[in-house]
Amino acid sequence: MPIVAFESLSKSYGQTPALRGVSFDVEPGEIFGLLGPNGAGKSTLMRILMDIIRPDEGRVLTFGHPRTRDDLDRLGYLPEERGLYTKLTVIDVMTYFGALKGLTRADARRRAVEWLEKIELPQVVSWRIDRLSKGMSQKVQIAATLMSEPEVCIMDEPTTGLDPVNVRLVQDLLIERRKAGRTTVLSTHQMGHAEALCDRVALIHRGRLMVYGRVDDVRRQHSRPEVRVRVQGDLPAIPETAGAVQTSGGAWRLTTQAKSEPADLLRSLVVAGVHVHSFEPMLAPMEDIFLNVVTEAEREPLA
Amino acid sequence: MSRWRRTKTVATFEFLTTVKRRGYLITTFGMPLFIAIYAAILGLPAYFMTKQASKPSIYGVVDPGGVLRLEAEATAGADQVPEELRRALETSGQQATVARMIGSARSRFRPYATESEARAALVAQAIKGYFVLPSDYLQKGGVDAYGPDAGRLSNDEGRGAFEDLLRQHLLAGRVDGTTAARMLAPVSGMHRFAVTPKGEVVDGGGASTVVRIVVPVAFMILFLLSVLMTSGFLLQGTATEKENKVVDVLLASANPDEVLAGKLVGLGAAGLLQVVLWLSLLTVGGIGILPMLLTMHVEVPWTAILLALPLFIASFLFFGSLMMGSGSLGSNMREAQQLAMVWSLTAALPLMMMGPLIQDPHGVVARVLTWVPITSAAVIMLRASMDAASLAWWEAAGAFVMLVVWSWLAIRIGARLFRIGLLSSGARPSLKEVLRQARLS
Repeated sequence: MPIVAFESLSKSYGQTPALRGVSFDVEPGEIFGLLGPNGAGKSTLMRILMDIIRPDEGRVLTFGHPRTRDDLDRLGYLPEERGLYTKLTVIDVMTYFGALKGLTRADARRRAVEWLEKIELPQVVSWRIDRLSKGMSQKVQIAATLMSEPEVCIMDEPTTGLDPVNVRLVQDLLIERRKAGRTTVLSTHQMGHAEALCDRVALIHRGRLMVYGRVDDVRRQHSRPEVRVRVQGDLPAIPETAGAVQTSGGAWRLTTQAKSEPADLLRSLVVAGVHVHSFEPMLAPMEDIFLNVVTEAEREPLA
Repeated sequence: MSRWRRTKTVATFEFLTTVKRRGYLITTFGMPLFIAIYAAILGLPAYFMTKQASKPSIYGVVDPGGVLRLEAEATAGADQVPEELRRALETSGQQATVARMIGSARSRFRPYATESEARAALVAQAIKGYFVLPSDYLQKGGVDAYGPDAGRLSNDEGRGAFEDLLRQHLLAGRVDGTTAARMLAPVSGMHRFAVTPKGEVVDGGGASTVVRIVVPVAFMILFLLSVLMTSGFLLQGTATEKENKVVDVLLASANPDEVLAGKLVGLGAAGLLQVVLWLSLLTVGGIGILPMLLTMHVEVPWTAILLALPLFIASFLFFGSLMMGSGSLGSNMREAQQLAMVWSLTAALPLMMMGPLIQDPHGVVARVLTWVPITSAAVIMLRASMDAASLAWWEAAGAFVMLVVWSWLAIRIGARLFRIGLLSSGARPSLKEVLRQARLS
């Protein structure tokens, strides 16, 4: 049973459509990547999930039933346009956000201290927010979102503006959540992060769902049928190949037949007595897929 | 988490955040301090004048006819009140008269044999002035008063004290003590009564009338103060949340109704606390109305006082919701205040209509306004205070229920406007857009 399901969601702002019949599911315990260019409708989708705005059509299901207000206690949300009460102390703001998610004040306070340790900022506990650097403030917001340990956490560009060390820290927190069986919906423009972290992705463009599935499957579906091999000696003619280009010495780039899988090609090479040093199916990087899908969609007129 | 708990969380946060604000603390404790300093500045000259006036003033008396039979310096105060007269006054509960006479003791009268002696003393500034009782005083009652300044001799202190002196000495030994006491104070006190249209006799004393008017007026002023202060905090808080971009986090945890109600309760409590603190400080400071009321036998309008809190809360929720909802549509603090101003003026309406309502608290206008949500609380308070017997129970109960229903509606409307206002950025949304969003939310 999906933990979150979007069913035929549509939403317009005035005459401008933001979402057009978007449907997909998020499974429990996964890191789900929500991808798309600026203005694609990702933030609208997340705000609908959090009941901040209402869809014109369609519905959202959480935990197997149409989402209720009480479900929001089990959902965490780090919005793209985020901020904190600048005149208050870190501990007061985190305690408030924790209490809003159903924690008692004492529990929220205790967890806030623990999470500040976890994000390596224990010293800022009694600082006023306006004393924090931009990066510190962002980490505090992430901690404030995660400290209630929501079953599903929606995070809009959580690592934007962070240095590589802190990006790794945040990624580790998300991986830790996955190990604990918790779900994360991650909106990001950084395709490398999506590739490294996400189990499945959905790519939205102009309010439409363009790509949806497991990361490996998506990469495979959008890759050219090529493998990179390094062999000893010459390369004999293999029926599964549609073409072969020698790139250097014993290195070749082989294009497979339309109906052949890379595994079939490898088997044929071995049967033909070729000594294979390395064999690597060439999967398209997510960034290329993103660019291709968006560029192709841009060529189509808007419906 | 229940709706109530979310509302409570928001309310607690808003209350604690507000009462710790520097601006709030300065206003709360600075205002009484400012009033105290202002009162001190105004009061100092009066204090010194009183102190000056408490020093004995010596006047000369030239009495060639021997009407007063003064042999030495005398006062018009208690030490000169004949013992028989003093006892009669005290026995008949005329302590106030005795006190007034004792007060007159500050004026001393020194006999002079001739007018020239008295004049010389005046020139030497040994006396403030002198009175001459002509020989035909008993027949005609005329007295000549001399002084460096005619205005000074004609003041209450000098003239009043001299008249007291004359009365005491004219009566002494000529009439019995009780009659003398009555002649000195013919009306020692007057208890006023009022007869209601139903023929009931109620306390109609001046103090009671004042209290009956003061209670609803105080209610209206405190209510207006609370609404204005709270709306200020609300608008400022909402503007800050929009500016700091915490709105989405807030609305992802609690719905607009809960946020709005929580803010109203939390900030309303902070505003109310401020008012209570001011009243307490005034009372403790000894310049409040409570000590005065305790020493006076006034009829306290208990019905109005009992109705005050529920009416205050219901009406506060009504106005607060609408002010906050419409104020949140503003794209900045100035616009927000302009939008909320409409409701501030509306809340002040009953105060502006006080005159005709006091004249006829149970007339047609008052009865109609009882059922109008923007005036209901104030008018019920006024009617219950002025004449509770003429306010039917069903009117009070019905109007209260109506106010609760309107408050609930106002919270719903306010919450929708609040959601639209919070989520909009940049220019103020058009009326068409507001209506469209309101339908969706």
